[in-house]
Amino acid sequence: MDPFSAEGELVNIHTAFTQGQYQAVVNDYTTSDFSSTNTLPVQIIQYRAQCALGQYDEVIGAISDSDARRTPDLAAVRTYARYLQRPREEAPAVQEAERLAESEGDNLSVQLLCGTVFARAGKEEQALQLLSQHQGSLDAVALIVQIHLAQNRTDLALKEAKSARSFAQDALLVNLAESWVGMRQGGEQYQKAFYVFEELAQAPGSTSAVSLVAQAVSEIHLGRIEEAETALGAALELEPDNANALANRLVLDVIAGRDAAEARRKLEAVDKEHEVLADMVAKREAFRAATAKYNPKFEP
Amino acid sequence: MASTSPMLTKFESKSSRAKGIAFHPKRPWILVSLHSSTIQLWDYRMGTLIDRFEEHDGPVRGIDFHKTQPLFVSGGDDYKIKVWSYQTRRCLFTLNGHLDYVRTVFFHHELPWIISSSDDQTIRIWNWQNRSLICTMTGHNHYTMCAQFHPKEDLVVSASLDQSVRVWDISGLRKKHSAPTSMSFEDQMAVSRGGQNQADMFGNTDAVVKFVLEGHDRGVNWVAFHPTLPLIVSAGDDRLVKLWRMSETKAWEVDTCRGHFQNASACLFHPHQDLILSVGEDKTIRVWDLNKRTSVQSFKRENDRFWVIAAHPEINLFAAGHDNGVMVFKLERERPASAVHMNQLFYITKEKHVRSYDFGKNLESPSMLSLKKLGSAWTPPRTLSYNPAERAVLVTSPADNGVYELINLPRDASGTVEPSNTMRGPGSAAVFVARNRFAVFNQANQQIDIKDLSNSTTKTFKPPPGTTDMTYGGPGCLLLVSPTTVYLYDIQQKKQLAELAVAGVKYVVWSTDGLHAALLSKHNVTIVNKSLEQVSTLHETIRIKSATWDDAGVLLYSTLNHIKYTLMNGDNGIVRTLEHTVYLVRVKGRSIYCLDRSAKPKVLTIDPTEYRFKLALVKRHYDEMLNIIKTSSLVGQSIISYLQKKGYPEIALQFVQDPQTRFELSIECGNLDVAVEMAKQLDRPKLWQRLSTEALAHGNHQVVEMTYQKLRNFDKLSFLYLATGDQAKLQRMAKIAEHRGDMTSRFQNALYLGDVENRIDMFQELDQYPLAFLTAKAHGIDEKCQEILEASGLTEEEVTLPSLGKPMQPARAIVPTFKANWPTRSTGTSSFEKALMADGDEIAAPATNGHADEDFLAAEEAPANGLIEEGEDDDAAAGWDLGDDAAPDAEADDFVDVGAESPGRAGSSEADLWTRNSPLAADHAAAGSFDSAMNLLNRQIGAVNFKPLEERFLEIYSASRTFLPANAGMPPLVNFVRRTPGETDPRKYLPLIPRDVESVQSGELAAGKTAMKGNKLEDGISCFKKALHMLMVNAAPSQAQVQEAQQSVQQAAQYVLAMSVELERRKLVGSTTDISSLPEDQRKRALELSAYFTVPAMEPQHQTLALFSAMNFASKNKQMGSALSFANALIERGTNAKFKETARRVKTQAERSPTDAIDVEFDAFNEFDICGASHTPIYAGEASSACPFDGIKYQTKYKGTVCRVCEVCEIGKASSGLRLTV
Repeated sequence: MDPFSAEGELVNIHTAFTQGQYQAVVNDYTTSDFSSTNTLPVQIIQYRAQCALGQYDEVIGAISDSDARRTPDLAAVRTYARYLQRPREEAPAVQEAERLAESEGDNLSVQLLCGTVFARAGKEEQALQLLSQHQGSLDAVALIVQIHLAQNRTDLALKEAKSARSFAQDALLVNLAESWVGMRQGGEQYQKAFYVFEELAQAPGSTSAVSLVAQAVSEIHLGRIEEAETALGAALELEPDNANALANRLVLDVIAGRDAAEARRKLEAVDKEHEVLADMVAKREAFRAATAKYNPKFEP
Repeated sequence: MASTSPMLTKFESKSSRAKGIAFHPKRPWILVSLHSSTIQLWDYRMGTLIDRFEEHDGPVRGIDFHKTQPLFVSGGDDYKIKVWSYQTRRCLFTLNGHLDYVRTVFFHHELPWIISSSDDQTIRIWNWQNRSLICTMTGHNHYTMCAQFHPKEDLVVSASLDQSVRVWDISGLRKKHSAPTSMSFEDQMAVSRGGQNQADMFGNTDAVVKFVLEGHDRGVNWVAFHPTLPLIVSAGDDRLVKLWRMSETKAWEVDTCRGHFQNASACLFHPHQDLILSVGEDKTIRVWDLNKRTSVQSFKRENDRFWVIAAHPEINLFAAGHDNGVMVFKLERERPASAVHMNQLFYITKEKHVRSYDFGKNLESPSMLSLKKLGSAWTPPRTLSYNPAERAVLVTSPADNGVYELINLPRDASGTVEPSNTMRGPGSAAVFVARNRFAVFNQANQQIDIKDLSNSTTKTFKPPPGTTDMTYGGPGCLLLVSPTTVYLYDIQQKKQLAELAVAGVKYVVWSTDGLHAALLSKHNVTIVNKSLEQVSTLHETIRIKSATWDDAGVLLYSTLNHIKYTLMNGDNGIVRTLEHTVYLVRVKGRSIYCLDRSAKPKVLTIDPTEYRFKLALVKRHYDEMLNIIKTSSLVGQSIISYLQKKGYPEIALQFVQDPQTRFELSIECGNLDVAVEMAKQLDRPKLWQRLSTEALAHGNHQVVEMTYQKLRNFDKLSFLYLATGDQAKLQRMAKIAEHRGDMTSRFQNALYLGDVENRIDMFQELDQYPLAFLTAKAHGIDEKCQEILEASGLTEEEVTLPSLGKPMQPARAIVPTFKANWPTRSTGTSSFEKALMADGDEIAAPATNGHADEDFLAAEEAPANGLIEEGEDDDAAAGWDLGDDAAPDAEADDFVDVGAESPGRAGSSEADLWTRNSPLAADHAAAGSFDSAMNLLNRQIGAVNFKPLEERFLEIYSASRTFLPANAGMPPLVNFVRRTPGETDPRKYLPLIPRDVESVQSGELAAGKTAMKGNKLEDGISCFKKALHMLMVNAAPSQAQVQEAQQSVQQAAQYVLAMSVELERRKLVGSTTDISSLPEDQRKRALELSAYFTVPAMEPQHQTLALFSAMNFASKNKQMGSALSFANALIERGTNAKFKETARRVKTQAERSPTDAIDVEFDAFNEFDICGASHTPIYAGEASSACPFDGIKYQTKYKGTVCRVCEVCEIGKASSGLRLTV
């Protein structure tokens, strides 16, 4: 039986991971509670949660070279953690990922983790190719959907999500993936996505900063600014240093006509290299470059 | 016998501990009150949280819906009882009085009463209409845990931790409160007030204890009346559920239900069946037989203790609250087992009788067979399979882990017959597979046996692992269902033929021809063919209950509340709504046959037109479609948009009368003839524009020509004539250009025509002698050269010439393309159209040739002044680099591309669409295309200095992107915020622009005015300048808003000007009013500036300030003439009474000698503007230059510099005007 299916024993920890309850994934589960066949998957999920929490050193430290040699899953985790730790200067990690993809391409962990590394390193084609080997894994589907969306291929993302819907019906990841697509489609899809995010974010058992941010984002798109502020406030209360929450706070401040400097300062303090900040710097330069074409005269 | 069976759970919620539950009597709603102080309102059918009510402080234990009004009541640990309206979503009022936790609250079934029980040992009855306490019932000497009204009689039953159950008679209370109607309002008030006192003073005369029931050894947690019988059931901490009976005079314990091994929390009678349900802290729900007091069923939950149970008053639903939420469930399946053969339906009634029903005669047979002995008493049979050859039925029941029974039906139904000669055996599913064989599936040992009619096994095989169900799979085959997959299994070959990944299939419905089957899951319908290949699939958010096939191959299926259809290709729609759930068994013509939940056959009427039409469309049966169109009233907006969406615009075109829609459709299907016809009818520039684009794409230049003529698109027209080689018309265009006085156009036409002389003449007209000379020289027209030299008074030697190349001549057209269209793509009459045509009325084909162009040109020959303006408009529009002109073609290509692109290639982002969709600088800035945004601003308002706009650009850019966290480890997904969230047409996507006109008005503009009032001019200037920059890069939803924005721009600019004038004066003289010590030229300048301060158009109250200050300044400095004019203006226009008073005084003083000490350049009676740079007057008629954005005027010498007010635009630059709306 598929250990991730509704009756399998991994379903809870996997759901918690999907819902972005990373701390809970790390704290509330111990590998010894699971049957021996599931020990490895649990460990992988926990390592991934640790990475999501930024504890890269712990993950890298916990996996020895011999572990990595023996188990491709662990090797993939280590590569993943190394890459995420320093995404800008980790060419070796990418090479390692390529090696793993080559030799262990049918391993799900390798697909997911190396796929993420590729996607982040700008090798989307390679990521998609690797992920396409998955055998009905919804995690892989979700990742594929995201990569398509990042490439602005909403059509392909939608196709992927729809096909997942046909075999996994109402699974959480399918709902999420559809919602991500919906956020690009707009119109009624905004509202549908909002329902999915809100359900996750508002139920005490499944709430997390990730879901709350998602809810806030959907509300921004629906033009419900005040509600978005509430949700975002809740997210920041839960995780004051959540970079995505801060990035969206910045957006919301601008929309509401408030001074966004405070939010920007906080974001800089948390994650200096956040995409938003980098993008803003780039855009400012682009602006200045564009102004150079004009020669205003100030004195007659 | 008790059995632990899987629950038929319909809904589950996760929350904190649920303490109270109430079903809405009509809607699919439950209220859940939680230990965390929240009250939730759920739609258990959709599984959505409708609302939350959070006003209680601490746990909420009691909750109840009113039977008819939109009200509910709650009671909590804050001692409060609250009555709420779920329509207005708020608490209407609070009933205070209890002195400790409130445990339960219930509405009376007819009187406006609420009963509550509390830890303060009392039971209270309240009138919720006049919001008063009408009765307090004391007697229990420990917490009262529960109190309920009798559903019919004037009785109350209560349970308490004092181990007793009490029955109270409240007929006294009813008598008192059903007072004679003749009472006045005051009397009623008196009575109700008196009643309250009386109850307190004389003890409980209104409510008297009728019986005290003792028998529990511990506290009693819950008690309930039977809906019809004189029975009471109670549950207590002694883990027992006790049944009591009462008569008029006494009450006694009947029996005890033992089984809970922890405190029993709540219990109730089944509303329709002889069952008791109870829940307890031992994490079980138990069902008891009311008559035998034996356990019938029990459900155990892993971790959660149960606290409360509630029953739906009408339908077979229950809800139980536990430590982590609520579950809604039903006790038994309500789907009647049935089978259809030819014209007959066989089904099993609630009484477990087999009956048949004849579809043709609409006749129900008497019951033929009783199945009382099958399975257990409380479990209905699950499936029925019919064998016409033997006239036998095969019935399965889930009782005892599944049993089947094979019974022969009596030849003629004459009444209930106990079956004789039945065969039975264990099995979770059983179906006939051949005339004399049936298959039995046993889930426990995963085995399928093929048996003959004497019930002996002839063959055995193992199904694929994980199989949960088995159904008929076509002749000689079985469909085996596992949670994720369906397998097609051949019995003969003992071989799996095919498999299909479909999750959670519950039922399989075969079409009558046996070629297709519908696999029904909870939310999905998958249509497969007989070799299990998927044909289509669809998803429903509402649960799917049943399905049946139309003879034509349309599947009709029912959800909880609708009957819907789906075609093989997955197109679906609603056929009708349902009030009650039904199970479809057959559809024939306009009738749908179904069984309802009480297993009664029903016939519903439907209108099959819509799906027949769609089916005919799919199958291209045009005759049938035609027939449907003619005979039914089908044609509506929905069918047109359906046709359009499905790619049949040419068919939709046949139905539409509305010219606008006809135009759209004809453009879409490329039917230019109709498009031209419609465009003529409507005659709107937008339509001509689109038609021209479409016609150009077709290569139909004659239509293009006509549209350009209509649009007065001279340049394009000239170019078209050039392209088609129509020299004659090109010459006329040149003439028209001359008439219009449009030099550029003339020049262009001359170029196209190769008309050198005309060009030389033009240059001369424009005093461009060097160019004229050059042109003449280049073409070797010497006499012209001479003429020009003479005219300019030069000799040839004085002119130095660059080296001249060979003059170019425009290429001559060889083929007279203009005479006729090239063969264009055939728009084709579809076979449907042919069918329509053949049927009668012919559509007159409009002549596409020679569109009355003569008239048009003739009209142009006459000098037409009005046209010039239009021409200019056109030019302005042409200024859009990315505007409408070239874009449509490129766009069309791109849109086609999107579908055809090879997978994997990155697409264009929504930001790119924004730049395509909009000519607004703000939208381009939001898209991050700063280059084009600046370009637009430069063309529209001559913007050159962009530095002040930097923040605004970045603000707009950053407000249009949100960051959605998706997969762990991946960067967030960037999403684009749209101006109109409802927009789904990619061609109309536009970004959200923060700080709209209104917010700038209420923000920066208002702040600037406040600063003006507060005399903080530096602050004011920066506010107004910021407002100008905000408005410069903005978007407005309507033309009205655009006008408002423009007014705001003017106003802000005037304020900036006024404030800068005043600031210059202050810089000159400081804050003193006495300037006698200064040199005369400075004094003069100061006085002038003070006067100019009054000129810009500010709001009256601010102008008053300026006038007042100017008047004082003037009078202090002996400028009595000026002072007098300011005083007069102040008296006339001032808004401040005190200032007017002063003005009158100054006026009288000044009138004595109205002369100025220093002669200043200010004439109050002459209209003038203030130069924005030098702050000197510009009188009417004097040459000046203005800022193209804010309209502030400047002395001509400032032309070409940056406007001092907006700090962005170039003064005097030619521009097309700011665009703020798409």
